[in-house]
Amino acid sequence: MRRRGVSISEAFGGFRLWWLVLPAFLFFLAFFVVPVLSLLAISFNKTVPGVVTLTDAFTLDNFVRIFTRPLYYEAILRSIGLGVVVAAVALVLGYPLAFLIAKTEHPGRNTALMILVLASMQLDMVIRMYGLMVLMGDTGLINSALIGLHLIDEPLPLMYNAFGVVVGLVQVTLPFMVLSLVGIIRAIHPSLEEAARSLGASRGEAFRRVVLPLSMPGILAGSLLVFALSISSYVVPALMGGWKVVVLPIHIYQQIAEAGRWQFGAAVAAILFLTSLVAVFVYHRAAVLTSGGRT
Amino acid sequence: MSDIRLVNLTKSYGEGNAVSDVDLAIEEGEFFSLLGPSGCGKSTTLRMIAGFVRPTSGRILIGGDDITALPPERRDIGIVFQNYAIFPHMNVAENIAFGLKLRKLPKAEIARRIEDSLRQVGLSGYETRYQRQLSGGEQQRVALARVLVTEPRILLLDEPLSALDKGLREEMKFWIKDLQKKLKITTIYVTHDQDEALTMSDRIGVMAKSRIVQVGTPQEIYERPKTLFVTSFIGHSNVVDVAVRRVADGMAVVALGGSELASRAGAGLAEGAAAKLVVRPENILIGTALREGDARLPATVVSETYQGAIVRYRLAVGDQEIVAERQNQAHVERFAPGTAVTIGWAPDWSETLLA
Ligand SMILES: Nc1ncnc2c1ncn2[C@@H]1O[C@H](COP(=O)(O)OP(=O)(O)OP(=O)(O)O)[C@@H](O)[C@H]1O
Ligand SMILES: [Mg+2]
Repeated sequence: MRRRGVSISEAFGGFRLWWLVLPAFLFFLAFFVVPVLSLLAISFNKTVPGVVTLTDAFTLDNFVRIFTRPLYYEAILRSIGLGVVVAAVALVLGYPLAFLIAKTEHPGRNTALMILVLASMQLDMVIRMYGLMVLMGDTGLINSALIGLHLIDEPLPLMYNAFGVVVGLVQVTLPFMVLSLVGIIRAIHPSLEEAARSLGASRGEAFRRVVLPLSMPGILAGSLLVFALSISSYVVPALMGGWKVVVLPIHIYQQIAEAGRWQFGAAVAAILFLTSLVAVFVYHRAAVLTSGGRT
Repeated sequence: MSDIRLVNLTKSYGEGNAVSDVDLAIEEGEFFSLLGPSGCGKSTTLRMIAGFVRPTSGRILIGGDDITALPPERRDIGIVFQNYAIFPHMNVAENIAFGLKLRKLPKAEIARRIEDSLRQVGLSGYETRYQRQLSGGEQQRVALARVLVTEPRILLLDEPLSALDKGLREEMKFWIKDLQKKLKITTIYVTHDQDEALTMSDRIGVMAKSRIVQVGTPQEIYERPKTLFVTSFIGHSNVVDVAVRRVADGMAVVALGGSELASRAGAGLAEGAAAKLVVRPENILIGTALREGDARLPATVVSETYQGAIVRYRLAVGDQEIVAERQNQAHVERFAPGTAVTIGWAPDWSETLLA
């Protein structure tokens, strides 16, 4: 069926409703755009510890330093790799859960599952990470149980390494993945899967050829969101990685908070921001390609 | 041997039955309609045949083989859904190729079949369109093409016309019927629209409250309804209270407004039973139109409504009312309100049913 486009001004009932959007717009401008732009701006100033004044002395020194020192460019790669792994794990864990929620018609059970997912977002992230540490530390529940059962002699290295960081980040981002997927999966009309079945597709083929491609917008949006949340997380790598898994946000924190090197920290932040932008671009290309020409 | 056999097919959800003890035999090449009001279990019956709903009890046989336990993809049954279910991420050609690719046909063969089937449904040149670029009628043709191209043994259609506007519905009714006749494919058609069922079907199964209440040709269903439900569901009928005087040889003599009339006797009718006489408005004759042997009784014209091709009379008979419709033709007598008239009908065109 053809749908007629409705212009934004029509949908907003003329121009008057724009006034309702103005406060949000001003807030966004004042407290997001301006600070981020100023941070980006000082990344082009020479690094002077303890000084935060923006000058017009333009230099690329900070960026050259980032891309010539392994300490920094390896952190970029580590951040990207971590984001990709976390997005993949969250997708593999989140898709079945989202599928279950989307297909649960019983209203009570559906609400219960939703609460389960949302509840994990209610606690502050720091508190949740301390909880994970109680579970996964060298003397934590898992290791003491395994040692108690004489299954291992030495504690397993579950924390203060990349594994711990991935577990922490997946725990934090999983609800976002699930929420991105549920609506999309629910919107896939069951008769599409049934049509595929009666045309000769087994359950698996119907999933692979119909349900999965139609889930793609949710898969892409969820992965993008999880990727962006993961590469920008400071708390999780700091607590679960114990500063041993050095990713971009840790450099930013160390440069600015510990060394007062605002300009260099800002340059690392700019790289982080750029990585997210590239991810958005990749997402957009993938969305166009997987939508079968639907734009 | 019949092509489809449903044996005591039952589906219950919780305490209530969606389908109860449906027993049907559908012949090869037959166009069979399941007709009934909303919620009577038509779709559930169809979905059990297609394999999407597991029967609580009973069996489904196709060409003599029990397919009750087979998954949908192994039943060789094509189904067209009410919403057409065109895959939105594939264009028309890819939609039609879906079943063919699963059957691992050679590429050239697939291309040839897509072309043929699009020609058959009058959509040549639509190969690269997507679902959102198709009208409802076009989507329906694609859905049909997608099913028919795989040459299924059985075609199931679940209210395929209900989403279309009236003009298109009329057109598609005959188009689908013609296509079905040409392909000689055994078809079960689900609808709640009596016009569709009457014009398209070889036979109709009328469903009410999870059961099949009557199976017959459109003519049998229309002219010989077996229950008051079928009577009231198909067309408009006069249903008046009568007292049964005698029953013999399938005919009953009943008392209505002081007169005694003959009519066909429904099942289980006996002297003294509370009963309803059923007669369609178009079968009621007035005055000189009556023939020898017709049941007759006196009536008074209450009102006359001119409707172009027909004129409609409300007639008082005792304390009940009967509606008569007369073709508005040359030389047909008209009656003003208040006129005392004799009305009647051929006994064979009326039926007395248990109330
Ligand atoms: N999955 C289900 N769970 C519980 N009850 C169901 C389910 N599917 C159908 N029913 C019930 O079974 C009965 C028959 O439903 P069905 O869809 O077969 O009716 P229908 O004759 O196709 O009606 P319509 O013309 O409205 O499509 C209804 O009362 C319905 O509420
Ligand atoms: Mg239905």
